[in-house]
Amino acid sequence: MIQVTLITLLVLMALAIPVAASMGVLALLLEAVYSPLPLVRAMGEVAWSSSNEFLLVSVPLFILLGEILLRAGFAERMYGSLIHWVSWLPGGLMHSNIAACALFAATSGSSVATAATVGTVALPQARRFGYNERLFLGTLAAGGTLGILIPPSINMIIYAVLTNTSVPKLYLAGMIPGLVLCGLFMLTVVLLCWARPSWGGRRIGASWRERFAGLAHLLPPLAIFLVVVGSIYAGIATPTEAASLGVVAALGLAWWRGRLSAEMLREAVEGTMRSTAMVMLIFVAAYFLNFVISAIGLTTLLTGFIERLGLTPGWMLLAVIVFYVILGCFMETLSMMITTIPIIAPVMFKLGYDPVWFGILIILLIETALVTPPVGLNLFVVQNLRKSGSLNDVIIGVLPFVFTLFAMLALLAFVPGLATWLPRQFN
Amino acid sequence: MAFLDRALKAADWLSLRAVWAGGALLLLAAFTVSVDVLLRKLFTVSLGGADELSGYAFAIGTAWAFAFALLRRANVRVDALYQRLPLKLCALLDILALLALGWFVSYLAYYGYQVLETSWSLSARSNSALKVPLWIPQALWFGGLAMFLATLALLLARALQALVAGDWNTIHALLGARSIKEEAEDEAAYAREIEAEGKAGGR
Repeated sequence: MIQVTLITLLVLMALAIPVAASMGVLALLLEAVYSPLPLVRAMGEVAWSSSNEFLLVSVPLFILLGEILLRAGFAERMYGSLIHWVSWLPGGLMHSNIAACALFAATSGSSVATAATVGTVALPQARRFGYNERLFLGTLAAGGTLGILIPPSINMIIYAVLTNTSVPKLYLAGMIPGLVLCGLFMLTVVLLCWARPSWGGRRIGASWRERFAGLAHLLPPLAIFLVVVGSIYAGIATPTEAASLGVVAALGLAWWRGRLSAEMLREAVEGTMRSTAMVMLIFVAAYFLNFVISAIGLTTLLTGFIERLGLTPGWMLLAVIVFYVILGCFMETLSMMITTIPIIAPVMFKLGYDPVWFGILIILLIETALVTPPVGLNLFVVQNLRKSGSLNDVIIGVLPFVFTLFAMLALLAFVPGLATWLPRQFN
Repeated sequence: MAFLDRALKAADWLSLRAVWAGGALLLLAAFTVSVDVLLRKLFTVSLGGADELSGYAFAIGTAWAFAFALLRRANVRVDALYQRLPLKLCALLDILALLALGWFVSYLAYYGYQVLETSWSLSARSNSALKVPLWIPQALWFGGLAMFLATLALLLARALQALVAGDWNTIHALLGARSIKEEAEDEAAYAREIEAEGKAGGR
């Protein structure tokens, strides 16, 4: 049964059948072949209840928040003022790229939006200051991935819904790894620029007066962060309520900047609904598939199969990491999460891994997937911002940071406290 | 031919309006929930039910956006193999993909309707302070699913017509998987556009 299921799913997906349809069709086939009961009758109930789940409402709200922030027009000034703070380091502006990504990540729950927004304001600078263009591009693609590690994070909400984990705990757990990863990315740049000083371009000095004058431009993203993330820990709002507050605050910000218009809202809404429909159709199909899989006893069979393999938790973890790194090369990340986590996460929890910690590990793996070819969305986003040159420049440029991500994965595996310490302080 | 094209255009028109309406609902939900949070915090009163209503708004808006996502070819497909195949084979896979989606969605719509019918015949109300008659949000939700199924059928008819005529390019234009490149181009084009806008005007 396991083999048949797995092979059917792989064949359906390889034939470029939409992920949602592949899962839906697989569920219908499994039900027809293996189930004595007409499970399909529950499909309507499953679809309805998963469609109006309050926590999931935060997904379109966060997508909308990103779409509005992208149009609210504060990224340029934010980037400008960060230059004064970090560009004296070897590697100059490349540090502003990473820092700006980290800061924007604190307002946005999406890595693609982060890379696109910061890339737009940063790229015109690469040639002007004589940087190694490949490495410069790499910092943008890699820095952008911080978008889903530093809260808020759409992917963490998806993980939370799929595994019944607390969103506030996941957000807290992401903060320290987010900052550490940001630091490691910067360290990577410093080391590379020490080894090859010609890659580092011109450094940009600044006076303290300039630095402090620019701080005002960091206030808008900070305000959004406080509204969206702060409100949760102040005990004022649930994650969905916080996302609502964020949308309203972002609209206010756009209005203040003179960017709010009917046209802008229309575009933001169209983009939001398109992405939401795409994710939710997969979600509904996945919920039904999981319902069928557990009803016909496949889940038990699968866990039993994995247990009989007799892998120690450590080897199992390594297997999971390798699995996601490989799968991440070929699959879009949200659909990858929705298809695999309901099956893999329970096994890992049973082996004794902490759900919150495992969530952060998954997020790191998703970040890796976003920058590994051939299907790494961030690579394409950055490539398209520059219009000329080959995609290979971005792929080569991001390579050192892929190793940084591997180092971070190892660090998290050996020092779980990075993720678990902060949530524990709030208990 | 002309009829199907006109019908598809109408579906496109309708799905776009539906998406705007769904977006408006989402914005409305964001405002209502925000007001609810502030009232609760500042005056310790609650509107009550803002979460439940925004859940319905979400389900309804999403259902009506399915057709839009389909027409804009936004459904995620694994195209590692697909993009290496010749046009004709891709077109056949496109039709197969549509059939598979249609199979799943007809079940979804049918059993979605059953949920609606059950709520109607039992006069079911939500298990909350609001006691919403469930058939109301469920009818609107099912409307979206029906629209999705109708759009699927139209696309399938048009694609089969093109298949008979040997018009492979039309099939690809209607159904072809958007490559990850196209996806990223959109994202980037629009970031650039905003950038240009920012330089031209704005504060």
